[in-house]
Amino acid sequence: MNHDPVAWGRPRDDIYGSYNPSYLPPTRQPYSSHPPSHPTTHTQSPVVTGTSVLALKFSTGVVIAADNLASYGSLARFTDVKRLRPFNRNAIVGFGGDVSDMQYIDRLLLSLVVQENYAGGGESVTLMNARNLHTYLSKVLYKRRTDFNPLWNALLVGGLDEHQKPFLAYADLLGTTYSAPSLATGFGAHLAQPIMRKVVPDEAAAAKLSKEEAVKTIRECMKVLFYRDARSMNEYSLAVVDVRGVELKEDNKLEAESWAFADQIKGYGTQTV
Amino acid sequence: MAALSHHHLSSTAPFAFQQAPPQNHSGEPTQHAFYPYTDNGGSTLGISGKTFTVIAGDTRSTSGYNINTRYAPKLYPIGGQGPTHKGSKIVLSVVGFAADGRALQERLDTVVKMYRYQHGCEISVKACAQRLSHILYNKRFFPYYVQAILGGIDEETGEGALYSYDPVGSYEREYCRAAGAAASLIMPFLDNQVNLKNQYEPAAVSGFDKKQLVPQPLERPQVEELVRDAFTSAVERHIEVGDGLQMMFITKEGIEEVYFPLKKD
Amino acid sequence: MFIARSEYDRGINTFSPEGRLFQVEYSLEAIKLGSTAIGITTSAGTVLGVEKRITSTLLETSSVEKVVEIDRHIGCAMSGLQADARSMIEHARVTSQSHAFNYSEPIKVKSCTQAICDLALRFGESADGDEEESIMSRPFGVALLIAGYDEDGPSLYHAEPSGTFYRYDAKAIGSGSEGAQAELQSSYHKSLTLPEAEELVLKTLKQVMEEKLDAKNVQLASVTKEKGFRIYSDEEMGACVQRIEGES
Repeated sequence: MNHDPVAWGRPRDDIYGSYNPSYLPPTRQPYSSHPPSHPTTHTQSPVVTGTSVLALKFSTGVVIAADNLASYGSLARFTDVKRLRPFNRNAIVGFGGDVSDMQYIDRLLLSLVVQENYAGGGESVTLMNARNLHTYLSKVLYKRRTDFNPLWNALLVGGLDEHQKPFLAYADLLGTTYSAPSLATGFGAHLAQPIMRKVVPDEAAAAKLSKEEAVKTIRECMKVLFYRDARSMNEYSLAVVDVRGVELKEDNKLEAESWAFADQIKGYGTQTV
Repeated sequence: MAALSHHHLSSTAPFAFQQAPPQNHSGEPTQHAFYPYTDNGGSTLGISGKTFTVIAGDTRSTSGYNINTRYAPKLYPIGGQGPTHKGSKIVLSVVGFAADGRALQERLDTVVKMYRYQHGCEISVKACAQRLSHILYNKRFFPYYVQAILGGIDEETGEGALYSYDPVGSYEREYCRAAGAAASLIMPFLDNQVNLKNQYEPAAVSGFDKKQLVPQPLERPQVEELVRDAFTSAVERHIEVGDGLQMMFITKEGIEEVYFPLKKD
Repeated sequence: MFIARSEYDRGINTFSPEGRLFQVEYSLEAIKLGSTAIGITTSAGTVLGVEKRITSTLLETSSVEKVVEIDRHIGCAMSGLQADARSMIEHARVTSQSHAFNYSEPIKVKSCTQAICDLALRFGESADGDEEESIMSRPFGVALLIAGYDEDGPSLYHAEPSGTFYRYDAKAIGSGSEGAQAELQSSYHKSLTLPEAEELVLKTLKQVMEEKLDAKNVQLASVTKEKGFRIYSDEEMGACVQRIEGES
C-alpha cells in the first residue's frame, strides 16, 4: 500500500497509472529542483490536538501546566506528549492546539537556542528573555495567519522579562496576543481562569503570591479540568520559572481526586433514574 | 420488500463507488476555510479641543464571552524616541481585531520614525493621518480589521486635531468620534454633548425661530468628565466594555496618560 | 591633475590605489564644460539664472530648457548633459508627487535634493543584478541648482554627480562658474532683495558669458512663497535685462 497521505483515497497507480502532477499548482518550496509532485497544502483544521494550558504569575516567577495528552478527535491517541517546552533558563512555552504545528514551532525554537549557544550561552551572555520569545512567536503566528496558512496553536509564554520580573503572555493562530496575571487556553479559559482570577485578581495580587500557593492553585485547576474537559487526562507537566531557572516535572499525577459526586449524576447514557 | 426492490431495480450501481462527496445547497463542495479575523471588543473615543486632543479607550480584551485580560491598552503613542516613544505628540487608537491593530500600530510607528530620519523633523499629524489612510487602503483586499482614531496637535493652528478611519482607509477630520463595540452607545451622547445636536437657544426651543446651539471647543475638565461619563455608561450596557479606562491627553507639551478603573463585571 | 591616471579609469566603480573614482571625477569635469547657471537666495525667495547657448540664429530659443519645475515650490537649473538631467528631474518630480500623495504636504527642498542625489550613484555594473538594477552605465554628467521654498523659508542646494549636495546662499556652476562664484562672493549679502538678486544674477552671467547677454540668451526663474516656482516670461526677461543695461 502507498502510505503517502496524498495518495489516500486516490486511484491506485498500479491499476490506473500514476497521476500527472503537472496539472497541480506548483509547490512553493523555493529551492526544490524536483518537478512539482504535491499540491501546496495548508492546515485548514487541527488534527492531533492538545487541550488547555494554564499559567499563573507569582511574586518572583511563573507557574505553567499542561496535561500530557494528544487527542485525535475524541480519541485519546497519545498519552505521553510533553506540551511544555523549556526554551532557556528565562522562558518556557506551553502549547495548545495542533501537535504537528507545535512540533514545527519546537524546531524553530531549537534553532534559536542553537544560535544562542553559538554565542556562548553561558552566564555572561544576554539570553533571549520571555518577552523576546513571545514577540518572536506572535510574529511567526501572525505571519502565517496572514498567509492563510495558520499554525493551529494557542500558546502561553511564561518566564522572566528583561528586568528579571515575572512575564506571562498569550499568542494564538490569529496572532492575537495579550498578557495577564493568570492565563489559560482552550477549556481552561472557561474552567480554570475563574479559579485563578480569585487568587490573582490583578498584578498587585500576583506580586504578593507565594510560589507554593501558585503551584497549589494550578494543581487544583488541572483537577477541575480533568473532571470537566473530556479531552484531558490525569497526568500532566508542570513547570516553575523564576530566577533559579526552569524547574520542569513532566510526570505529575492528579492527587486527591474526588469522584464521590459521580454516582449522583443522573440522566446521561442508559441510567435514567 | 418494496423498499429493498427499489434499491436493486435502480439503474445506478448499488455500491459505495457511486457516492458523491457531500454537497451543500448551492451545489458547491462544502469547504471549511480558515477565518483570519476575530473581534476583541472594547471601545475607543476621541475629542479635540482648542489646545489639546484626548484619546480614550477601555482596557478590556475579549473573545466571545471570555475576558482575555483586563489590561490590554488600545492607545499607542506614535513616533518619538525609542521604544518608550519619548517626545511623541501623536496617539493612535485601534479597536476591532487586536492583532491587526498591533500590526498597524507597528507599521505606522516605523513610517513615522523613518520620516524623521529622512526629512529631519517630526511628522505633522496631518501628514501622519494621510499616511495612515494609505497604509489601510493598501491592504484594501485583506484589510486591517480595525477602526482607527488618530489624535495630535495641528501644527499650523495649535488646535487639537482628530482623524477617524474605517478599516479600508476612508478618513475625516472631526471634533469627536467614538469607535468600537460601544460606538453606537457613545456617539449619540457625544453628538449631543460635544456638537450640541438637538440643543437649542433656551429663548425659543420650538417653532420656526428655534436656533441650534453652536458648538464651542470644550475645556479639558469638561472633556475629561464627558469621557468618563461616556465609558461608565457604556460599561453598564455593553458586555465587551469595562475593566479600565485609559486616556491620553495630547498637548503641545506632549502626552499625558490618565488611568481610571471601570467596573470589572 | 590626472597624474595617477591608469587602468583604474576603466572600471567605473573601481577605486584607484590612491582612493579615487576616476569616472566620478571626470563627470565633475563634464560640468565645467556646461553652460553657466547661477542661483541666489534672498529672504523673499530664490532666483535662478541660466545662460542659454544659442549656437545658431535658426535655433528656436524657447526650446532650450535649462530651468525646469520639479514641484510647485521647487525648481531646478542645470549645467552639463541635459539628457542626464531629465532622468534626475523625472525622479525628483515623481518623488515630490509621491510625498504629497502619501503625506498631503509639499516635500522639503532638502528631501527632494536628497532624492536626486540617491540616484546619482546608481550607476555601474550592478553588484548582482537581481534587485536594484542600476539605471545608468556611467555617472551622471550634470550638476543641478535646486531652489525651493518650504516651511524653513527659501533655500538653494547644489547637487553634484558624486551624489554630494550642499546648501548655498549663492552658487554658480558650469563653464563660467569660477569667475561667477568669485563675483557672487564679493557681491552677495544677506539683505539682498529679490529684484537685486535678479540683477546680480544677470550681471554675473553677463561677465562670464562669451556672447553678449540679451533677453533671449539668458533665462531667469524664481521660487517665492507667494508664487512658488515661476519661469520669467519674455516680457519680464526684457524688463530685467533693461534694468541692468540701464545701470551700466
